[in-house]
Amino acid sequence: MQVYEPFRAGLPPLIRYWKSLWSRRRFIAEYSRSELREQHFDSFFGQLWLVLNPLLLSAVYFFLIIIIQGSSDETRYAHLTATLFLFYLVANSLTGGVKSITAGQRLILNTAFPRIMLPVSAVVIAIAKFVPTLLVFFIIRTVLGLPFTWEMLWAFPILLITIFLALGLAITISCINVYFRDISSFLPYMTRTLLYLSPILYEASALKPELLAIEAFNPLFPILDSWSRTLVHGQAPQGSSLLAGLAWAAGVFFIGTYFFLSREREFAVRL
Amino acid sequence: MELIFSYQGSANLLSASNSHATNEIAVSVRGLGLTYKTSIDKRPTLKARAKSLGRGSKHVRIIQALDDVNLDVEYGQVLGIIGTNGAGKSSMMRVIAGIIPPTKGRIEVFGSVSTLLALGVGFNPSMSGRDNVFLGGLAAGMSREEIEDHFQEIAEFSELGEAIDAPMRTYSSGMFSRLAFSVAVTVRPDILIVDEALSTGDAKFKEKSLNRMKELRSDDRALILVSHAMATLREVCNDVVWMHKGKLVQRGKPNETISAYQEFLQVGKSAALDEDV
Repeated sequence: MQVYEPFRAGLPPLIRYWKSLWSRRRFIAEYSRSELREQHFDSFFGQLWLVLNPLLLSAVYFFLIIIIQGSSDETRYAHLTATLFLFYLVANSLTGGVKSITAGQRLILNTAFPRIMLPVSAVVIAIAKFVPTLLVFFIIRTVLGLPFTWEMLWAFPILLITIFLALGLAITISCINVYFRDISSFLPYMTRTLLYLSPILYEASALKPELLAIEAFNPLFPILDSWSRTLVHGQAPQGSSLLAGLAWAAGVFFIGTYFFLSREREFAVRL
Repeated sequence: MELIFSYQGSANLLSASNSHATNEIAVSVRGLGLTYKTSIDKRPTLKARAKSLGRGSKHVRIIQALDDVNLDVEYGQVLGIIGTNGAGKSSMMRVIAGIIPPTKGRIEVFGSVSTLLALGVGFNPSMSGRDNVFLGGLAAGMSREEIEDHFQEIAEFSELGEAIDAPMRTYSSGMFSRLAFSVAVTVRPDILIVDEALSTGDAKFKEKSLNRMKELRSDDRALILVSHAMATLREVCNDVVWMHKGKLVQRGKPNETISAYQEFLQVGKSAALDEDV
C-alpha cells in the first residue's frame, strides 16, 4: 500500500528516500550509458575526441604559459594536464547537472521517483568522461619521465573528495536552474572564472600571499593543489589542504542536497 | 496531443500478484485538496526577477487545483472521469500516481499503478524508443530483467517495427501514442490510469487499444479513464465521475452522469463529444 499525504516543510523521510534511490541504481547506470551513446562516446572516434579535446586544450594553455612566462618545463606540463583534467571532471558535472532536472521534465511530470537521480547521473557521466583522460595523463607522466612514488596513492582520497564536491555542485545547480532558467547561460562564465582562479595555469606555490587569501573562497583550490602535489610531484598532500577540500565538499553537498530534497516535491508543478 | 508512458509503483510491478478481490478498495481519496504555486513565466529567469525587483510584480500564481475531493475506486471498477478543461482531472491522476504530493487529505493506493498521462513524450527525444522504454521503466523502479521480459510484447503491440531503434524525435505523434499505450497496457498493473491518451492513433490502432482496454477490464483490476469521448466512456465504464473546478460534482451510472454533464454543457449529444478515446 502506498500512502500519499501532505508533506511538511523540510526533508522527506530519508531512509525511505535512500531505499527508493538505491533500488533505482540501474537507472543511473543505464541513463549514463544511453547519454554517452547518444553523444557517440561509445565509438572509437568518440572516445578519441574525449581524450583529444583536453589534450588540445592543454597544448593551447601550455603555449600560453610559454608566451607569458617566456619559459616552461615538463613538470609544468604535467601539472597543467593533471589539474586541467580533474577540473573538467567538476566542470562537466556542472554543465551536465545544470539542465538535468529541466531536461528530465517529461519523466518528472509523469513518474514518481527520487529526482536526485538525475543530477547524480550527470556526475556519473562526467566520471565516465574523466577516466580516459586520467589514463592519458599517466602516459604523459611516464613519457616525461617523472618518478612514481607510493605517495601517489593519496590521489584516491583526493579523487573521492572531488567527486563528492562535484555531486554537491551538480545537485545544487540543477535545483537552482528550476527556479532561474538562465543560470545555465551564466554557467560558462562561472566555470571559466573558476578555471583561471584555480591553480591550473600556475602552481599554488607561485601565488603571492595576498592572492592566497582570496583562494580561501575557491573550493577547487585545495583539491587541485593536493592533486598536483600528489600526482605530479609524487609528494603527500598537505593535511590542511585535504581537510579544507573535504570541508568544502561536505558543505556544498549537504547544503545543496538539503535544498534539493526539500524542494523536489514541487518540481512537477514548476516545470 | 502528445503522450507519455510511465509505470509507477513498486519494483515488483510485473510480478504483482493480481489477487485482489472484486469490490476491494483500490484507491481511497479522502478530503483531497491541492493548491500549488507555479511561475507565471514559462521560463523563470534571474534576469526577469532582477528587473521586477522593487516593482512588486508577482512572479508566481497560486492555483487551487483540487478542493475536498473524496473518491473510492474499487477493484473491478472501470471509472470514467469527465469534466471541462481545468476541472482538475489530470491533477488528481498525478496525485494518485504520487507525482505531486497533496496539500490536504490522504490518498491510499492498494496495488501497483501504471499511468498513461497526456503530456510530453518518453524521456529524452533524441534517444531511441527502446532506450526510452528501458529508462522509463527503470526510473519507475522496475528491474532490467522485468522490462526485457516484456519488451518484445511492447514492441509487437506498438507495431513500430524497426522504428523502435530510431530516435524518438523522428516519430510521428501517432507512433508516440502507440508506444506509450503499449507500455502502459503491457505491464498489466493492478490499477491503470489513462489520461486522454488515444486521440492521436489511427482508427485501426484505436480499435485495437479499445479492445485491449476491454480485455484489461477484469474483476481484479481497476481502470481509471480520463476522457472527453463520451461514447467510449459509455461503452467501457461502469461508473463515471464528473468533476468541475476541482470539485466532484456527481458520481453514478455512466449514462446518468454523462447526460447530466452534457446538459450542463448545453451542447447536447453533439458529434464532437462522441469522438476519440
